Amino acid sequence: MTEPSGVRDNPAERSRPPLDALLVQVAHGDQAAYESVYDQMAGPVYGLVRRVLRDAAQSEEVAQEVLLEVWRTASRFDPSRGGAATWVMTIAHRRAVDRVRSEAAAVERDSRYAAAYEPVAGDEVAEGVVASLEADRVRRCLDGLTTLQRESITLAYYSGYTYPQVAAALRVGLSAVKTRIRDGLTRLRDCLGVTW
Amino acid sequence: MVRFLPRRRVHVLAGAYALDALAASERDRFERHLPDCQSCSDEVRGFTATATALGLAAAAPPPPDLRQRVLAVVAALGSAQAGDAEIAAVLSAPDARTTSAGTSAGGTATVVASLAEGKVVFTSFGLRALSPAEVYELWFIGTGGARPAALLPSADPVLAAGLEAGDAIGVTVEPAGGSAAPTTTPIVVMAVAA
Repeated sequence: MTEPSGVRDNPAERSRPPLDALLVQVAHGDQAAYESVYDQMAGPVYGLVRRVLRDAAQSEEVAQEVLLEVWRTASRFDPSRGGAATWVMTIAHRRAVDRVRSEAAAVERDSRYAAAYEPVAGDEVAEGVVASLEADRVRRCLDGLTTLQRESITLAYYSGYTYPQVAAALRVGLSAVKTRIRDGLTRLRDCLGVTW
Repeated sequence: MVRFLPRRRVHVLAGAYALDALAASERDRFERHLPDCQSCSDEVRGFTATATALGLAAAAPPPPDLRQRVLAVVAALGSAQAGDAEIAAVLSAPDARTTSAGTSAGGTATVVASLAEGKVVFTSFGLRALSPAEVYELWFIGTGGARPAALLPSADPVLAAGLEAGDAIGVTVEPAGGSAAPTTTPIVVMAVAA
């Protein structure tokens, strides 16, 4: 197989039947295949959305939207552009971030930025993370980053901040944040042994 | 060397892009740049897979009733899609977007909306049962007020035409036969235009 395999060694990517094949069956109207997709991905989708949104009721709504979008748009999944878990989690993250930003637009800017100034502890990533080998491995690799790299990545990914908001929260310049995110992701990618 | 600067400036956004940390305008600019930059696409792909690992590490048990609800909505939309070409067209429209929300009558409302088709497909799960004298009614809510969209005699998916840009979707309880304008407070209002 030369096609991209997404994240190596993560349960969602290696379980049987593979998520990629299940999505193809879902695209052909197979409800049983969808149940398998649900059982593999509902936990990761809900956990990520909850992590970004924090609010339980909103997280449940957004997780439902994401899982329905996976069903409705399964025919658009293109294995040549990445693994199936990556496709699902990308939808989930974008939806969660959309919700955070539309909520943010609806509330006072000041409180949004005040919240952004709250210091983020390096071990904040441990909060809410299911104890699993995969989570341990991710945490170990995050610990291997510089503080600024780690905080930039976790604020952007787990809190849904734009990089200018990350810069404001960490009181560093915009170009420093862009560079730290990119350098940090490069180190994380290599540490995790991600293939693509 | 100066002529390489703009490209490198865009290139450095690959990380922020993969984490959805760009504002919409910058994201659009970066996406226009991607097809012309193989190294950017490769980097984005690796970073996106890396972000996936961060996401999978945050997995948490979903609320137990989510499974039954999602599977019920999928089954309802699936059979409606198989039996109704107009519903199928909305569900597969390139611009369609699914929105779900809890309602004050219990359960959840789900709408798939396509502005290009000017239509929505609405379905619900777990709404309070009404007396025979009442019916749930669906509304398009725009700047000029609420326009009747459809009656919802059951939880089965219903197609409604007449969606306009900026509309929200609302549901109210009305006397059997429906009303020309809402007479009660909506049980749910959902913004649907992407």
